[in-house]
Amino acid sequence: MSSFSPQALRRWQRFKSIKRGYYSAIAISILIVLSLLAELWINNRALMVKYEGAYYFPTYGDILPGETFDLDYKWETNYRALKRQFKSEPNSENWVLMPLIPFSPNENDFIEGEYPPYEPSLASGHYLGTDMSGRDIFARIIYGFRIAIVFSIFLLSVTYIIGIAVGAAMGYFGGAFDLFFQRIIEILSNVPILYIIMIVASIITPNFWTLALLLAGFSWMGMTWYMRTETYRENAREYVQAARALGAGHSRIMFLHILPNSISILVTFFPFSVVGGITALTSLDYLGFGLPPPTPSWGELLQQGTTNLEFQWIWASAVGALSVVLTLVTFVGEAIREAFDPKKYTFYE
Amino acid sequence: MTSQPILEVTDLTKHFPVSGSALFKNKSVLKAVDGVSLKVYPGETLGIVGESGCGKSTLAKTIARLYEPSSGKIVFKGQDIGALNSKALRAIRPKIQYVFQDPYESLNPRHTVSAILEEPFVIHTQLSANERAEKVCELLTKVGLPTNCLNKYPHEFSGGQRQRIGIARAIALNPDLVICDEPVSALDVSVQSQIVNLLLALQKEMGLALLFIAHDLSVVKHISDRVSVMYLGKIVETSEGQALYKQPHHPYSQFLIDAIPKPDPRQSKKRMRLTGELPSPIAPPAGCHFHTRCPLAQKKCKEEQPKLVNQSSNDHLAACHFIEESLNQWDKIWASSKENAR
Repeated sequence: MSSFSPQALRRWQRFKSIKRGYYSAIAISILIVLSLLAELWINNRALMVKYEGAYYFPTYGDILPGETFDLDYKWETNYRALKRQFKSEPNSENWVLMPLIPFSPNENDFIEGEYPPYEPSLASGHYLGTDMSGRDIFARIIYGFRIAIVFSIFLLSVTYIIGIAVGAAMGYFGGAFDLFFQRIIEILSNVPILYIIMIVASIITPNFWTLALLLAGFSWMGMTWYMRTETYRENAREYVQAARALGAGHSRIMFLHILPNSISILVTFFPFSVVGGITALTSLDYLGFGLPPPTPSWGELLQQGTTNLEFQWIWASAVGALSVVLTLVTFVGEAIREAFDPKKYTFYE
Repeated sequence: MTSQPILEVTDLTKHFPVSGSALFKNKSVLKAVDGVSLKVYPGETLGIVGESGCGKSTLAKTIARLYEPSSGKIVFKGQDIGALNSKALRAIRPKIQYVFQDPYESLNPRHTVSAILEEPFVIHTQLSANERAEKVCELLTKVGLPTNCLNKYPHEFSGGQRQRIGIARAIALNPDLVICDEPVSALDVSVQSQIVNLLLALQKEMGLALLFIAHDLSVVKHISDRVSVMYLGKIVETSEGQALYKQPHHPYSQFLIDAIPKPDPRQSKKRMRLTGELPSPIAPPAGCHFHTRCPLAQKKCKEEQPKLVNQSSNDHLAACHFIEESLNQWDKIWASSKENAR
């Protein structure tokens, strides 16, 4: 007994056979998981500290002030300095286990006597260098990716939910309801979203949620057309009439009967919407209307890079990260679209 | 019949607006069902026959209130369901069920068999999941399907099996009336008889009234107690099944009955031949709708619409101005075919 229909299994087989998309999907999943666990491998807090026989795990939870380790300050412990200190003590039982990249994305790591940005170097541990204010670029890229992908998925969930609900209702009820919403959508589609965001950003500082909801409020319209047509088509089919003859209610017919039959076309748009979400956030950040500083962000990094072109590692990192991720997601999208395509041969395989 | 009819349809019409150009709305309507009256008695089968496009399916769907009737009355168990609002209608739904023509279309391809058969119970009863599963198994046994197919999808079944699922869904809530809209015309001949026999067995067991729609006269003959013949949105003849096949009154019914293939090699190949096309239901001919193709048509037929009236003592209704001439014509055919047989 399998809970997937043979058609779904066939599509999955086909998706797997398109190697480029399949491996991209694996790569992007690994990236997402790694970025969600970023605190464990990119952090200025230690993973584990052994001090005077006691063990400390500072990664998650409240900050441990320097006094915990008998240092002479009350703010958060500088674990990199602590590590150096323990190392210099001979025959010490104490030790610090730092993450792979021992920098936080919001931390300014200044080298005495030099102005940032610092070049990429293995010795300093800044493998992609630092930005204009001495923050580690690699850390900012990974944390920025996490924010961008979560933002993008949240944005598209909201747009899909609104778009599917409105589109399905338009197709299902038809008539005056349909006409009314068509006009609403046409009006909304012609609102220049960038200006709206500029206006809003000049009044309030948008945070993650307000920015996502604002964007969603003006970008759910695209889905409605597909959903509306699909619903129109499915609504005329006999299994819907059969449900109606059984006395099923509107929402039951819409969501349990029509939706599962029309959802597949929307799945093919999914990766491209992710790309769209990442791009939207990056460009807003680039223009300075996105998430407030010091949120790690690719757009902000790109902006630093383009205003300071002589420090090539800044723009190169941002452009590189953006290209890699967008290409991977596009490959996945391509493969999904091909897997859902009823015709058999494809040149992506 | 002495008992009260379970379903009484009076002057039912269903008109579809045919949109003209966007600017100039010419209000032409397609009269799919144009003044149909019929009665179905408890436990009996009323067959409805007619060629494609005569409005049989529209009639069925209007009676089941899948379409809004344009005018007329649909009285089911003393209640006019033509005027009910959607909430009251939902309450009456379980009692009138529908078996669709195409078993490939009428089952949701994304639902498993158990989901399809559970749905009536989910909508209309408060049974627990276990009780529902039990009911589903009962239903499957009733329609002759193995109970291990619960988690299969409709496409894993043959046409006949799918139609059995459709029938199981229709009888799930113990309906009083099942409307069968050409339930066997999409199936192989060998499977047709199985499905027809299943319907008859269920009818006997559950006391169902069947409204059986078909274009295959021999199937209707096998299953029906009474038969109505439809032509261009109207019923032209209604009678007891055997009587209709022995002596059709209306010229159109005569053509239909005569066209049934007979398993007799010595039979004359000479048949009554129906000429012309079915006229458009958007602009039906004036007078008797059949006059354009009727060999007996006279001036009166072109001007005056005949009423469906009782022609003999035992409920044989026909709508024709010239019943006697028509009967004479049939007698001649009957005699000639007998002669040929000899």
